[in-house]
Amino acid sequence: MATDLHQSVVASPPPEKIKERREWLWSLLIGLAILVAIATIPAYGDASLLHTWTLIVMYVVLAQSWNFIGGYAGYAAFGNVTFFGIGAYTVGLLVLAGLPFWVGLIAGGVIAGMFALLLGLPVLRLRGQYFAVATLGTAEALREFVEVKDIGGRGGGLMSLPLPSLDAYPFLFYAFIMLSLLCLLITVVLTQSKFGYALIAIRENEQVAQALGIHTYWYKVGAFVLSAVPTALAGGLYAYWATGFDPGTVFDRGISIEMVLLTFLGGSGTILGPIIGGILFETASFQFQTSGLNLHNTLLGLSIVLVTIILPQGLIRFIQEFTRRSTPGLTPANRFMEGLRRVRRFIAANGI
Amino acid sequence: MIFGQILVNWLLLSSLYAAVAVGFSLVWGIMNIVNLAHGAFIIVGAYIAFWMYTQLHIDPYVGIPLTMAALFTIGWLVQYVAINRVIRAPLLVTFLFTFGLNLLITDLVQQIFSSDLRSINTTYTGNGFDIGSIHIAFDSLITATIAISLTVALSYFLSRTRTGNAILATGMDRDAARLMGINIGRIYALTFGIGAALAGAAGAMFAELYPFNPSEGGAFTLRAFVIVVLGGLGTPWSAIAGGLAFGFAETVIPLLPGVGSGYDDAIAFAVLVAVLVFKPNGLLGKAFYS
Repeated sequence: MATDLHQSVVASPPPEKIKERREWLWSLLIGLAILVAIATIPAYGDASLLHTWTLIVMYVVLAQSWNFIGGYAGYAAFGNVTFFGIGAYTVGLLVLAGLPFWVGLIAGGVIAGMFALLLGLPVLRLRGQYFAVATLGTAEALREFVEVKDIGGRGGGLMSLPLPSLDAYPFLFYAFIMLSLLCLLITVVLTQSKFGYALIAIRENEQVAQALGIHTYWYKVGAFVLSAVPTALAGGLYAYWATGFDPGTVFDRGISIEMVLLTFLGGSGTILGPIIGGILFETASFQFQTSGLNLHNTLLGLSIVLVTIILPQGLIRFIQEFTRRSTPGLTPANRFMEGLRRVRRFIAANGI
Repeated sequence: MIFGQILVNWLLLSSLYAAVAVGFSLVWGIMNIVNLAHGAFIIVGAYIAFWMYTQLHIDPYVGIPLTMAALFTIGWLVQYVAINRVIRAPLLVTFLFTFGLNLLITDLVQQIFSSDLRSINTTYTGNGFDIGSIHIAFDSLITATIAISLTVALSYFLSRTRTGNAILATGMDRDAARLMGINIGRIYALTFGIGAALAGAAGAMFAELYPFNPSEGGAFTLRAFVIVVLGGLGTPWSAIAGGLAFGFAETVIPLLPGVGSGYDDAIAFAVLVAVLVFKPNGLLGKAFYS
């Protein structure tokens, strides 16, 4: 896959195109560097550090997969935790039935993909707020269903798996890293493909995209399925990692919103946005948690309020704006001032 | 007669739902903001009523004007300080913003009052009178009366006063309204304040009727959304129509064979999807603001 991409760069002669295409290459390299750096964490042998970072990488994966439908297609999916819960409960039920873990994991991905397809067919006909609330409602309804039907079998949907706690072992941590890497590669390929361009066209103006002959409906359904599958895989890994969970945890609408916030914080519709946003926010959140303050939701709410008002375009675009090549022949000091001026204009255009 | 009792329960529940949705509908119709913090405002109203009853011994119904004033101030400030700045941003941004606000408010309420289940027990709680075999509780009846009066008052305010007309004009065409000399920022703050105040009233009445805790807000927001979708945007009356339709679904569906209780959110959601798939703009559907 990587050689293919490389060849396409070499084969394109016009210079401005090469420059444009370098952006994704840089994003890919930085993304890889970040993931490799995180992958060294088990070497420290600190169990609580590993615990924290397993969850951080999990949230990064969730944000990366939300980015497909929310960031690129611009559809406000506020119920993606549905797929997380489906993944978790599929793994739970199949492991309880005596099947190996990886069978459950794959089954969870497949079932969530099919669920996204079936759900997407009606709800992706809706626009804007209607779509958002329909997805939000799906998650709530499914949580209630699992709770009332007691799918987990321990009362109120609680599920506990007869597994050794793998909490301190690096195996699942690496699995999350691989999943994040996979999402990174998919995102990069997406930005260079017809599929990705179609999604961006839908985000920018769906009617125009339709008029240009793009089958917007099927592209949207595709993006929805694409964001459902990695979310379900993350849910399956979480189930194995936590070994016990209830509907309130794996269908928590807070997780849906966290995916959105993390993506927005970094920059929705960018390659690196979900990774950077995820790492920044979750590190801060866990820092608060370890210092004994139970302020996760307050912090989440406050961050959402601040990010939407001040920086709805995200950090990545903010940095890009600051470092964009300025007019040639400026002294470094002038170039810096130019950057500052641009940033001020950028903030003025998007928020306060 | 079980049928008569169901009918009465339906009407009383529907009026509470109309009160839950009327402010939400106003904010959505005029500003095109789906206020996901609406449920949190309702919860704040409930806790203000609870606090006034336990600390100051003010009856929750008598205290409604105070609750509404407090919520109006909160709503006015939120709109004036924050939402007015992102009103032109893509829909997703205001949506996300109000959700963040919802989390923040719910969490603050939880920090102050804890997540225990609370209820208000007045001297008349649980009392009522009978007409034939139909039982009517006093507090349900007072709630229905207040809910309908508030809707009538809002309708009168919007159609008969100068400020109300300015709100409607802003909803119809923001730019034209500005050219007529209307201060859009202030009208928006006022509209959001009124929406929050109505949520506060609904919260106070809910607190009298049912036990509550801070996490209940999300369910209210979902219900308000479904009610508005059912009734359509536009006038305060559509909230009553939506409330009746939704109250009917919630009273009757659990009585169907094989369903049973416990599926409140699932029912709300199923109704929502069923309506949206067939009528994307709601039952009485035309979008007031587009």
